[in-house]
Amino acid sequence: MAQPLRIEPDVQFIRELQAVGGDSLKKCYQCATCSVACPISPADNPYPRKEMIWAQWGLKDRLLSDADVWLCHNCGQCSDLCPRGAKPADLMSAMRNMAYQKLAPCPSIGKWMSSSKGLLILTAIPAVIFAVIWAIMAAIDFGGNFKGSIFPQGEVVPGKIFYGDYTIDPVFILVTIFVVSAFFTGVKNLIKSIGPVGSTMMLGKKKNLLVCLLEVITLEILPHAKFSQCGDNTEEKKFRKYGHMCLLFGFIALAVVTGCFFLGHWLGRIEAFRPIYMEVPLSFANPFKILAQLGMVLLLVGLTLLTVRRKNQDPAKQTSSWYDWYLLGVIWVVALTGMFTQFFRLADWAVLTYIIYYLHLVSVFMLLAYLPWSKLGHLVYRTAAITYIRYMGRK
Amino acid sequence: MATKIGIYFDQSAIGGGLDVEALAEGAEQRWSDIAPVVKLFPVLAAESARKEIAQDIEENELDGVLICGTSARVDWDLYRFDNVQVERVSLREGCVMAYKNPDGSLLDPDGEEAPELLRLMAVDYVNMGVIKLQKSNVPAPEISESTRRILVLGGGWTGITAALAAAKAKMPVTLVEQSAELGGRAKGFLKTIPLKAPHDKVQDTGLEAKIQELTANGDITVLTKSTLTRLAGSPGAYTATIAGPSGEQSVEVGAVVLATGWVSQDKKVLEPLGYGKSPNIVTAEEFEKMAKTGGITARRVAFILDTKLCMPACDCDGAQAEEAVTADVAASQPEAPAAEGEEAPYVYEDMESVKHLPFSNAVSSVVALKQAGYVADLAPDAIAYILYDSMVVQGVHERFYKAAQDNPSIMLTKADIREVAVDGGGLLVRADNTLLGGSIELAVDLVVLPTGMVPTTAKEPIMQFEYRQGPAFPDLSLFNGYADSNYICFPYETRRTGVYAAGCVRQPMTLDSAEEDAYGAALKAIQCIESVNRGVAVHPRSGDLSYPVFNFVRCTQCKRCTEECPFGALDDDEKGTPKPNPTRCRRCGTCMGACPERVISFDNYNIDQIGSMIRDIKVPDNMDVGGPRVVILACENDALPAFDMAAMRGMPWSPYVRIIPVRCLGSVNAIWVADAMSKGIDGVMLMGCKYGDDYQCHFVKGSEICNRRKENIAETLDRLGVEPDRVAQYQVAIDDYNAVPAMVDEFMKMIFEKGPNPFKGY
Repeated sequence: MAQPLRIEPDVQFIRELQAVGGDSLKKCYQCATCSVACPISPADNPYPRKEMIWAQWGLKDRLLSDADVWLCHNCGQCSDLCPRGAKPADLMSAMRNMAYQKLAPCPSIGKWMSSSKGLLILTAIPAVIFAVIWAIMAAIDFGGNFKGSIFPQGEVVPGKIFYGDYTIDPVFILVTIFVVSAFFTGVKNLIKSIGPVGSTMMLGKKKNLLVCLLEVITLEILPHAKFSQCGDNTEEKKFRKYGHMCLLFGFIALAVVTGCFFLGHWLGRIEAFRPIYMEVPLSFANPFKILAQLGMVLLLVGLTLLTVRRKNQDPAKQTSSWYDWYLLGVIWVVALTGMFTQFFRLADWAVLTYIIYYLHLVSVFMLLAYLPWSKLGHLVYRTAAITYIRYMGRK
Repeated sequence: MATKIGIYFDQSAIGGGLDVEALAEGAEQRWSDIAPVVKLFPVLAAESARKEIAQDIEENELDGVLICGTSARVDWDLYRFDNVQVERVSLREGCVMAYKNPDGSLLDPDGEEAPELLRLMAVDYVNMGVIKLQKSNVPAPEISESTRRILVLGGGWTGITAALAAAKAKMPVTLVEQSAELGGRAKGFLKTIPLKAPHDKVQDTGLEAKIQELTANGDITVLTKSTLTRLAGSPGAYTATIAGPSGEQSVEVGAVVLATGWVSQDKKVLEPLGYGKSPNIVTAEEFEKMAKTGGITARRVAFILDTKLCMPACDCDGAQAEEAVTADVAASQPEAPAAEGEEAPYVYEDMESVKHLPFSNAVSSVVALKQAGYVADLAPDAIAYILYDSMVVQGVHERFYKAAQDNPSIMLTKADIREVAVDGGGLLVRADNTLLGGSIELAVDLVVLPTGMVPTTAKEPIMQFEYRQGPAFPDLSLFNGYADSNYICFPYETRRTGVYAAGCVRQPMTLDSAEEDAYGAALKAIQCIESVNRGVAVHPRSGDLSYPVFNFVRCTQCKRCTEECPFGALDDDEKGTPKPNPTRCRRCGTCMGACPERVISFDNYNIDQIGSMIRDIKVPDNMDVGGPRVVILACENDALPAFDMAAMRGMPWSPYVRIIPVRCLGSVNAIWVADAMSKGIDGVMLMGCKYGDDYQCHFVKGSEICNRRKENIAETLDRLGVEPDRVAQYQVAIDDYNAVPAMVDEFMKMIFEKGPNPFKGY
């Protein structure tokens, strides 16, 4: 007879899980419909049934070391078919939300990100930073643009307040360092928690980790392979796949523009790279400017698709947590403020342009600086988990 | 004795080319002396026809009406006439629809002329109908003084509810409670499982309010610290002797509600689950007490519902059968010495067994859910585990289960308990095959085991009947002591008319079910009293006016009737002369079937009547020419409707049989078989209900007793040189309609193989 395994439930953990989106988890009665319904769950040791009982029993350690929550792409088939309304898909989301809260350092940010109560302080941080910068720039009458007003005079150029070289770039370089180091710790924690559990005997040579990463990106992430496997190709499900695609490619486009501009702007100052020097605002004929416009349109289309989908969800089957709404909300603000800054600038409406641009900076900060604690963290964690699992021999 | 009979034929119901006019003419000729009216109606089931019959009754002073057409189970409400006996001859379902040719071919429904065999069958049935009426009287029961008071035994939740229900129906009530205070088990509950919608939260029992209402009710006399020591008499006129603090007193009561509840099972059976090893291993009953007094300090509590460890190692069929046999022997022991007339002290068989643990599982399950909720409420980090083999939550309790399951502090899993071990100051529960995917070990502070609920009737006779058949309900070992009667159709009824069981004495149950039980039993008690005072049977032949009449002149004091009555209706005097108690009687006729001297009869159902009907069947002298004849004595509750349904569904049977309904196979007297055999009838089929431990007989013992008597009949036949298998008994349920025609045909095949009854032609 097998040696019994000591079980020590953590009731507090159950309540936390319920708070981050798994409120129906106790309703499960282990019929296993979910595991059968899931289109991508493996035949051996399938999810999400086992996660349901672990969650009901508050088995924190098992759940935190469970890589399967990252394999789930939240199509909601399991929740649709659950006879008890236990919403396993919501639990899997909740588990990921829990990971966003716990994996990276600075637990207080995780705490603030976990509910609407933290929104004020999260907004206040960038709001204050950029307000101070604005105030300083106005006080020193930067570039002689202000002339005693708090708004720069003359041609409308946002760079008159937030001149990249001295304001935006230093701030976001710091943010990037902060985020990358947070992700480093987060991914380390993630891999550690998954541990060797689930490793499979590999025949032949073990694949290189980088090869695995490349495979994951090219075979799974970019073509949205799992989204296609997830569920039938109903209109509603297509909404999700195409919405996600628009957002992903929109962000890639914007990241390319930002990255190239950054390189051009700084490297261009060196004599040898003079020809690639760039300065804002770019002209509309610039291919990067065109790419940026395309990115903006993709963002707006993707946002609309995903928001409509979430709004139309049957609350008895699947619910949206704070994490979902926070991310959607912030991206909405980023995209809209970005768009309107450009419109108002071209319309020559100085006051509105500057105020909206200020809000744009605040929202971009909120999107980037808190990334490891937000739902967008899945960009890194899910990729890391899937890559690691592939590396360990599972698919 | 019907002396002036009107015979009516319903042409609309009779097809198959049967010449109804010739049939009527034949009846008119044969019964001219007693049947002044013989009429044909194109449609009999009509108000106009009914009026005409009523007119005939008045003009010709008819005292009997014979309706020849549809089955007696059709339009029974249409043919009721005051003070006139009505008999039905089923020419439709019993003849035309049941007919098939001897070669198996079916009757041509549009045929011009009916086959001769069908005509003979119809004639036989009409003649038997007339004879039945001729040998029947309208019963006129004597109505004796009766009391309306209802005695409620047990002052717990069920008893109080029953007493209040009866009092609200304007019945005076005496409630007897053994202990000093009312309330019983429910008094010890901290909370109860939900009793009202939405059924998801524990609640206060509301017992105090119930008790207050009870004590304030002037129609209810409450006797505490009292027990019933004797119940003499019969329904409507019981004398209950009640021993209380101020001595014995007699109370006249009409009916009894038995609500004496349960006692806790011997905790020894829980030892395999660790009971006794630690003070922290308790039963649910003990835990409830701890909760009530606020004495729970444990924060991790395991509720164990899987009791397989407590059950005997070998639970195979052989062992069970053996156990059942010993139980039967034990049950019959107390009666055996009495039958021999020796004075032996009465010993009541203790029917408590380990089985009461699983029997209580439905209650234990919801109780565990309730008590787990107590634990969850103690502290935010408190944990209640429920380890079950089967979580049994009945009906609306599912909602309570769901609510408990939704509680973050309650952990549920199916589990095979391996052991409960003491580990330092704490306890370890080890279990296999859990939902967590294997064997687990839980460290807990307290283990709560289920409480087996043993009905009080398993331990003591309780009722203390002063009946010839003893002070307790008979055969309770069949039900492990629960005061049940296996009456799926008639809950609350016991084997003693006038006593109705409710609550946990009948079956382990929760307060809501017990409340419903209490109302049911109170209604039954009222029905009993309201039937007795009109001289009619209570149940299952509700409203039957007939009752057994004894012709004591010929009685040989053989005691068969007193011993065989399934309901203990008959007492006897020192010499053994039976003393009938009509209000205890259910009119099944088992006594009539038992009596070798044919002393017992009913006005409208008797030995002579059925015997005459059998003797009137026309039996062809030569079986090869006219075919054999077989009589079927069919239980009118199940077998007869099964035949009706078979006919209606187009499943006919042999044309050589004649079906005669009987009240119960228990009422079949051996003389009827002798009558049939001496008449030259080639076989007798006895078709009645299933018997044995899982009997389906309305009258519990009828078909079983018939089977026993059949052995004697077979012996007698054998001595006379008649093959004993010419008499056979069949067990038929009401829904066996698809099987009965084949049973008949199979029997007929056997008769054809044997050839004619050797007595034929004598």
